[in-house]
Amino acid sequence: MNNADIRVLLVDDDDMIRDCIMAYLDDEGFSVRGAACGEEALEIIHLLNPAVCISDMRLPGMSGEQFIAAAYALCPSTGYLLHTGMHYSLSDSLCAIGMTDDDILLKPIHDLSKLVRKIKSSAVAWSNK
Amino acid sequence: MSPKSAEIFFKSESRYRMLVENSCDIIFSLNMEGNFTYISPAWEKILGHEPSGIIGHNFREFIHPEDISLCETSILTSVQTKSAQEMTYRIHHADGGWRRHTSRGTPHLDEDGLLTFIGMAHDVTEQLRIEEIMIQTEKMIMISGMAAGMAHEINNPLGAILQHAQNIERRVSDDIPANLKVAAEIGVDLDLVRVYLQKRGILDFISHIRTAGMRASDIISKMLHFSRRGESGTEYTDIPALLDRVLNLAGTDYDMKKKYNFHRIELLRLYAPELPPVEMAVVEIEQAILNILKNAAQAISGAELNRPPRITVRALLSSGMVVIKIEDNGPGMDEATRMRIFEPFFSTREVGMGTGLGLSVAYAIITKRHHGSIDVQSQAGVGSSFTIKLPLQGEAL
Repeated sequence: MNNADIRVLLVDDDDMIRDCIMAYLDDEGFSVRGAACGEEALEIIHLLNPAVCISDMRLPGMSGEQFIAAAYALCPSTGYLLHTGMHYSLSDSLCAIGMTDDDILLKPIHDLSKLVRKIKSSAVAWSNK
Repeated sequence: MSPKSAEIFFKSESRYRMLVENSCDIIFSLNMEGNFTYISPAWEKILGHEPSGIIGHNFREFIHPEDISLCETSILTSVQTKSAQEMTYRIHHADGGWRRHTSRGTPHLDEDGLLTFIGMAHDVTEQLRIEEIMIQTEKMIMISGMAAGMAHEINNPLGAILQHAQNIERRVSDDIPANLKVAAEIGVDLDLVRVYLQKRGILDFISHIRTAGMRASDIISKMLHFSRRGESGTEYTDIPALLDRVLNLAGTDYDMKKKYNFHRIELLRLYAPELPPVEMAVVEIEQAILNILKNAAQAISGAELNRPPRITVRALLSSGMVVIKIEDNGPGMDEATRMRIFEPFFSTREVGMGTGLGLSVAYAIITKRHHGSIDVQSQAGVGSSFTIKLPLQGEAL
């Protein structure tokens, strides 16, 4: 699968974080969209039907956890990754949709090539669904 | 004195003597030079000295040098104002250590017209130790909350620094089509741009930004230990084997080898036989003990000692807890340092020589994660001793 075929949705309320990760993913050829909160992301996710959705944990309004649970109901084939500054144990609701500890990305990501590898492996799982 | 009143007097005298001699507290009297003229039998029970070695001796011989002037002032005030005075001080124990006593004394004019100072002293060592642990615990809870909040707030800007540095590196490289396209559009030779950036050291600067960011990020992730819920599993672990493993690990650690000459420190292992295994997150406890060993080795290496350097590691069982003691014969520390030793970023080292996080991480691992306790005793010039107590079974680790 080409990177250009992989649509990514990035949810983070911090403009700086969205900018730098989107710039990197853009350079890698992915098609990336950003959203500043879970509510905004929910409005576009079913139109976008991304292969991978990366969400921050602490968001204004609904939490990253609540957002992923709600987004899964709309786009069950999307691969979800949680991007968080804190060590975090997956909640039951996120385990129930098949997320594992491997789907948690700790901030700050030192080397974004790791994120790229993670997106690609999630996207492969997505395309096989 | 009539036989009747003599009888009453002796009865009353013997009653008071019985009270004094059976008191759990120490009752003493001092003459105006400060020499003991009487001590009750409790002294020997509490402090271990033979009474013959005390009567006629000056109280200053037994009091911690830093506390002598405080006692002198209290006694003087008491005599001048003819009132009871209370004082808390450290007093020498026959085992070589210090105990904390609180005493209350008053001046007394005896039947021969001699002024004495009579007091009653109570051992408050344990009570003060518990109070100190409580204050320490509260302080650490507050600091850990702050550390976690700060760490979280710093992670995002740090992420932007690290990742934008990476973006800059990539946007001047010639293997991304968009770079070549824009360069061509504006008529710039990207290879020449790279040569310029290289020659002016700019690419190195960018790489240094990334390295520095990663270093900051490592510190933040250590700080997050405070707020971290346990992730790694626990297992029942043999303590002597664990301690041997950490001591070996310490021998291979870079700082320990190169900076602290760990191989020159004599290691004494005193493990009680048949210690039961303890439930723990092994890697974390190893980390905690290694941090304490590093602190000991660093203290020893930084001091001029007139004795061969030594670290003693003990393991024993006491009141249903496994106790691990790590003692060094380094320079020790003063009271002000001892009180702050577990605070994050508290360091007596020069800036840049360690983060001051090692012992606070050890503290968090032992108290928060394992519901154990850690405290430190120290005597300047003699050494320090860290005591870790771990419950045999981790409740809800």
